[in-house]
Amino acid sequence: MSPHDTNPRDKATIELKGVRKSFGSVDVIHNLDLKVEGGEFVVFVGPSGCGKSTLLRMIAGLEDVSNGDILIAGKDVTDLDPAKRGIAMVFQSYALYPHMSVRENLAFGLEIARTPAAEIARQVDIAAEILKIGPLLDRRPGQLSGGQRQRVAIGRAIVRKPLVFLFDEPLSNLDAELRVSMRVEIARLHRELGNTMIYVTHDQTEAMTLADRIVVLRDGRIEQVGSPRDVYENPANLFVAGFIGSPRMNIIDGVRLAGDRVRIAQSEIALGDPVPAGEGESVKLGIRPEHWIVQDRQDASLPARLEFAEYLGSTRYLHCALASGDIVTVEQRGGRDWQPGETLWLNFDRPKLKFFSASGQRVA
Amino acid sequence: MSRKAATARRKAWQATRYHAAGLFISLLFVAPIAWSALVSFKPSSEAARPPLPPWPVEGFSTQSYENLAKYGVGIWTYAGNSLTVAAATVVVTVIISLLAGYGFSRFQFPLKNVLFVLIISTVMIPFQSILTPLFLILTWLGLQNTLPGIVLIYVTLHLPFSIFMMRNAFDAVPKEIEDAARVDGASVLLMLRRVMLPLVLPGVATVAIFAFLASWNEFLAALILLTDQKKYTLPVMMAAVRSGQFGTIDWGAVQSGVMLMMAPCLALFLLLQRYYIRGLTAGAVK
Repeated sequence: MSPHDTNPRDKATIELKGVRKSFGSVDVIHNLDLKVEGGEFVVFVGPSGCGKSTLLRMIAGLEDVSNGDILIAGKDVTDLDPAKRGIAMVFQSYALYPHMSVRENLAFGLEIARTPAAEIARQVDIAAEILKIGPLLDRRPGQLSGGQRQRVAIGRAIVRKPLVFLFDEPLSNLDAELRVSMRVEIARLHRELGNTMIYVTHDQTEAMTLADRIVVLRDGRIEQVGSPRDVYENPANLFVAGFIGSPRMNIIDGVRLAGDRVRIAQSEIALGDPVPAGEGESVKLGIRPEHWIVQDRQDASLPARLEFAEYLGSTRYLHCALASGDIVTVEQRGGRDWQPGETLWLNFDRPKLKFFSASGQRVA
Repeated sequence: MSRKAATARRKAWQATRYHAAGLFISLLFVAPIAWSALVSFKPSSEAARPPLPPWPVEGFSTQSYENLAKYGVGIWTYAGNSLTVAAATVVVTVIISLLAGYGFSRFQFPLKNVLFVLIISTVMIPFQSILTPLFLILTWLGLQNTLPGIVLIYVTLHLPFSIFMMRNAFDAVPKEIEDAARVDGASVLLMLRRVMLPLVLPGVATVAIFAFLASWNEFLAALILLTDQKKYTLPVMMAAVRSGQFGTIDWGAVQSGVMLMMAPCLALFLLLQRYYIRGLTAGAVK
């Protein structure tokens, strides 16, 4: 499966079967199963130390697999060298060879594969054209800006004509503005090349905007796999609900009362729909900040005192304390300006309400 | 206006003092070298007289260099021996420390840290105290009184420091660069040669300079382990010149020897100083 005898548009699938990684007696990846479809853009997202980079490095062959199999394009690559897996990787720190020019950086992998010089030159020119780095080819990495370096790193991946692109937090070292433009570039690249891509990030915006599917990881386990819309609107558990979305989903403890009524934050509210818990049982209610409705007067709603407000131009985030002392975040678009200390009344978009069991699993 | 002028005057005065102090300290360092150089160009008779004035008053002469050239079996034999020994020491030390430093920096193996501490701890053993065993080992190997034997001794003595230097140099190279080379398909040796070596060149330069200077100037081991006059290195030859013949010392020849011994060290240092300075500070900030 040399990178050069394959069509880069081949849609290679990636399968992880019972993959486990342990350092000594500590398991960092637990029996993980996942299938990435050919041509799919999958984003691994999760907090620091969740194992997302380790998993990517295992797919790349830079980290040994303690157990299980990794298949790329149907072929078992578990024990193959990185170069023989048909992958190319873009690193967070760019990892360019500082003593080589941009041209030499791009050509290095092809030289090792003994590609004819004319073909190397052609591939380098194609990559330079795609990434618009033609004028930089004779410069050294030290003479480039962060964004240019990352383009070169992506170019180095492109010239190898890999089946699969692996990105390890490639935009983390860039400033906010550059990050947005590079994000667009990567999306364009995926559209143009059509390869299978796996992208690791802790930035949810990147995950939401780039991914066909998001894999949410925690402590070496998959918490949920789904489209960005799916993980945002239908989180499988409290962790995913809290992790995806910024500001995070508000979680309020409640107790089911008779009928459709629940007691939350010392108030009794009729939800209108059945509550998925036994009478007297505790239940957790998840409400996204944008699903609150702010009212000036009591109308079957929760009283809250405004602690402080964040003005973000088109929206305001109101951080309010409920009667129970819980702080909730409310997104407000338009409407009057509230002052800290004022009491406002919160209602919510009832169909958007999520219910979680006491153990954190989604129940409705 | 007056305050500005006062500030300018104060700054000028500070700069003058700063440069004067720098000049004075530089003169202290340059003086012995200049004095040696000047004496080496005095005629032999003048070089034997009291040293003031330090410059030749009876005209410049290369007589001292000619006398030195004819000393023993000829200066070029000794210089050749020294150069061979120093160059071989540098090459062998660099190759071994490069590989060992890479291994200690990048690979995991049992007792790695113990082995490293063991190697470094040999620096604490006074070299003079193991001369006798070294002499016996060389005799046993049939390398006593040979240049390869003395090279072996020098390499052994320089390796702990060199391995330490090279390990630090490799530690300073981000691991991701190596990962990128692996993804590009580089084997370990190819990666070491084409990716890592250029990045640790400052470390290599530092190791090379230290190994060269130490083996070029080493006297005691060469004196004890080399018995054949034809195999003497320059320091041993210089000791003979310094002790004189029949009670007379040719001071001009001694000073011309000093100049001769200094030249390669100076040349090497000037050639590699850019890398050397970087090597010493590598890893200081990361």
